[in-house]
Amino acid sequence: MLQVENLTASIGGTPILKGLDLSVGSGEVHAIMGPNGSGKSTFAHALAGREGYEIGGTITLDGQDLLDMEPEARAAAGLFLGFQYPVEIPGVNNMYFLRTALNSVRKTRGEDEVGARDFLAIAHEAMALVEMKEDFLYRAVNAGFSGGEKKRNEILQMAVMQPRLAVLDETDSGLDIDALRVIASGVNSLRGPDRSMIVITHYQRLLDYIEPDFVHVLVNGKIVKSGDRTLALQLEAEGYADFVGEEQGAASTSLSGAVS
Amino acid sequence: MKNASAQVEHEASTSTVGEDQLYYCRQRGMTEEDAMSMIVNGFCREVFNELPMEFAVEAQRLLSVSLEGSVG
Repeated sequence: MLQVENLTASIGGTPILKGLDLSVGSGEVHAIMGPNGSGKSTFAHALAGREGYEIGGTITLDGQDLLDMEPEARAAAGLFLGFQYPVEIPGVNNMYFLRTALNSVRKTRGEDEVGARDFLAIAHEAMALVEMKEDFLYRAVNAGFSGGEKKRNEILQMAVMQPRLAVLDETDSGLDIDALRVIASGVNSLRGPDRSMIVITHYQRLLDYIEPDFVHVLVNGKIVKSGDRTLALQLEAEGYADFVGEEQGAASTSLSGAVS
Repeated sequence: MKNASAQVEHEASTSTVGEDQLYYCRQRGMTEEDAMSMIVNGFCREVFNELPMEFAVEAQRLLSVSLEGSVG
């Protein structure tokens, strides 16, 4: 489903990703773990097509060359990015935003737009997944939301968009345990044979709730080790030190400000 | 100005909308132009809420001008 080969990304000549390979099959959940500055978020944004990076290598989703596509075309191809820092859009209510988003990808795919009444049913179903109340729909997108509400809103959007591939960038950061449970349960209910996920996290804790099929360790712009769930537990116990050499450690520290 | 990432000048010309906001909307499938229109409209709505009613009505009317070509 997703094939990433020798992916490189740099910002202003500074290399962040240095030849990343990853293959994700349909229905699989892959966790990417790594220390701060290892390039986790850069990888997420390289997939989604954020501007400002010099990119090399290839990314294909269901055979389509993503690197040739604008961010909105990638979304229509089924890519969803759950943002680490969801963006506030004052004056635009959540419902309008969500419906515009859904209808935008439907239009690109040549599908009929969803009318207001049908959309409300879709929204209510999605809201139940993340235990959101009705008033949430009528508040401005992420404006004045708590950290937990913003992250729940990302999962709500994911439930509405029904992506083929969901990339969740540090969805667990800044959440208390109750919010983490709600979000993980929402994410788990969206797992299915036709949907793959890449869960990016610094901590093993999230993976107690969203159990991945594969775990990859990203250090200094490369995947240095892959395994099953037990790899995450090993990281929890031993930290990243074993994977970070002296030189790499220095490099990743110096980059931490540039890629967060 | 409540939103530091948007700059709105007099004569209602729009100069810079936050790159992060545009990217966020585009990641959700909206074209750059649709995203720009949504963000600017939302921002203006927030501003109008602070205006006396008679100005707000007029301003709302003026906002319906096309934002076509404003991307870039």
